[in-house]
Amino acid sequence: MSERRLMLLHYVTGLGILITGAVHIWVVFFTVPLDQTIWETTMLFDNHPFAILSVYRNALLASTLWLLLVFTTFHAMNGIRVIIMELIPDERVMRAAKWLLIALGVFLVVYGTRTILIAHSIR
Amino acid sequence: MEGKVVFTVFRHDPSAGGKPRYVSYEVPYRRGMTVLDGLLYIKERIDHTLAIRYSCRMGICGSCGMKVNGLPRLACFTQVSELGRTIKVEPLPNHPLVRDLVTDFSTFFAKHRSVKPWLIRRDVEEQENPTGQYLQSDAELERYIQFSYCISCGLCYSACPVVTALPDFPGPQALAWLYRFYADTRDQGGKERLEIVDRASGIWRCHFAGSCSQVCPKGVDPALAIQLLRRALIRG
Amino acid sequence: MQTLGRQRRKPPQDSSHLYPRGTKLYHVSRKGSGQNSRIQRPSSTVTVLKTMLVPVRYSVERWSYTLQRVTGVVVTLYFVLHVIETGNFIGGPTVWYVPPYDFAKAYYEHIKEFLHNPIFDVGLVVIGWMVAFHAINGLRLTLAHFGITLGRPSRVEPEAPPRSFSTLQRAIFWLSIALAVFAAVYSLNALMGVFAR
Repeated sequence: MSERRLMLLHYVTGLGILITGAVHIWVVFFTVPLDQTIWETTMLFDNHPFAILSVYRNALLASTLWLLLVFTTFHAMNGIRVIIMELIPDERVMRAAKWLLIALGVFLVVYGTRTILIAHSIR
Repeated sequence: MEGKVVFTVFRHDPSAGGKPRYVSYEVPYRRGMTVLDGLLYIKERIDHTLAIRYSCRMGICGSCGMKVNGLPRLACFTQVSELGRTIKVEPLPNHPLVRDLVTDFSTFFAKHRSVKPWLIRRDVEEQENPTGQYLQSDAELERYIQFSYCISCGLCYSACPVVTALPDFPGPQALAWLYRFYADTRDQGGKERLEIVDRASGIWRCHFAGSCSQVCPKGVDPALAIQLLRRALIRG
Repeated sequence: MQTLGRQRRKPPQDSSHLYPRGTKLYHVSRKGSGQNSRIQRPSSTVTVLKTMLVPVRYSVERWSYTLQRVTGVVVTLYFVLHVIETGNFIGGPTVWYVPPYDFAKAYYEHIKEFLHNPIFDVGLVVIGWMVAFHAINGLRLTLAHFGITLGRPSRVEPEAPPRSFSTLQRAIFWLSIALAVFAAVYSLNALMGVFAR
């Protein structure tokens, strides 16, 4: 993939993270009453309408979370690739880093998808 | 300010071996004295083996770039009175060292040449045997004129953190010159120019740290040129 | 002295006659960077790290570059741990289907005990600051890379600050710092109830 396409995706995923991340932060943090903490509300298994696990039974919220996962994985892996390129401008190191980062990205998306699917299905 | 000023100067001769060292010289202060005046005093009266590069002494040739008190500056353009009593002078970073305060500019100039810093016209015949002037309105001139004030002093190249990391990065000077010609309505280089820097170690590695614009003695603002060039590249 | 025609005195090959005997001079190569010591080599990783992380005397934009990088790396590390951690909420890496309710609840409570730790809470507050800063500053950088909110090129006024350091750009930078502090304070309250109680 050309550098131009990679960087364009970097900008696009960055904006995507802003939007889907805002939803995620709202779901987890902003639904907590001011006189309680997260541990007393959203982190309960199923006692509160905004308890983390019950919230993601909603398909729209689960999909937004999944998009956040994909965007963040790409943005983070590409960012690390750039930093490695600047710290160690060696051809072989770059090729190895590229494959390592792709592998890590695939693992994160697969494991995260599994988490979201199971959370979506727990009753 | 009166009395004496202490210049701490980097001394090293790579061809003679040995380790780099800092030597302190006391220089009497004169009103209006520049760092270059101080260095020339040292060279004339104290230590003639000090190697410095300078020419016009008035901030237009770009020869006397050095790191003064932590920032790349032109020695002839920097007043001692604005720096205080202790002045630390080092060679420009990011350029290989020749000796003492003199650095090698070959890579810098090679990168400058790589961006084709000349007008590209499709009709070369006409350019060689012109039939008239290339007319340009004031608005068209203002699109690039500030970037044409560059004196190739190399200060921006020294300040750029990406140049330190990536030797293949063109550097702010080359990129600003590229934009200067890209934005010039007389130039017909267009996409051919953009392709020169559209690579992994090219313009995409600029992070807008802005240090280049901060140290530029001529107000060229290469950071602005690079972001505008990037916009042109993104929009295709 | 005859200096006309072919009888010209040859100029000295170097300037050593100008200096006391024994002074060592560096002979400048006419081949430009033919000398091996003068090819620009990549700087050592230590130099690169120092340049990236310690931009003393440089402007706010340079500090923003440093912070953006540092926060990016730290948040990436957190992201990897977060995906693994949330995976553990559901029953750990051995579970790949919907687990029985009781098993899931017991495992969840067990993990929650481990995570309900003031050190992790403070860490999350710091991460919250970093995420908020990286996001808003990233938005500012995206605008800059598209040439928006920067000044327009024009004739240069002497001693004027660079147009690219525009007021709007700097305002968004400081806004990103401020919003990040707000995010940190809010999450401090949400996690540890510091202000509500």
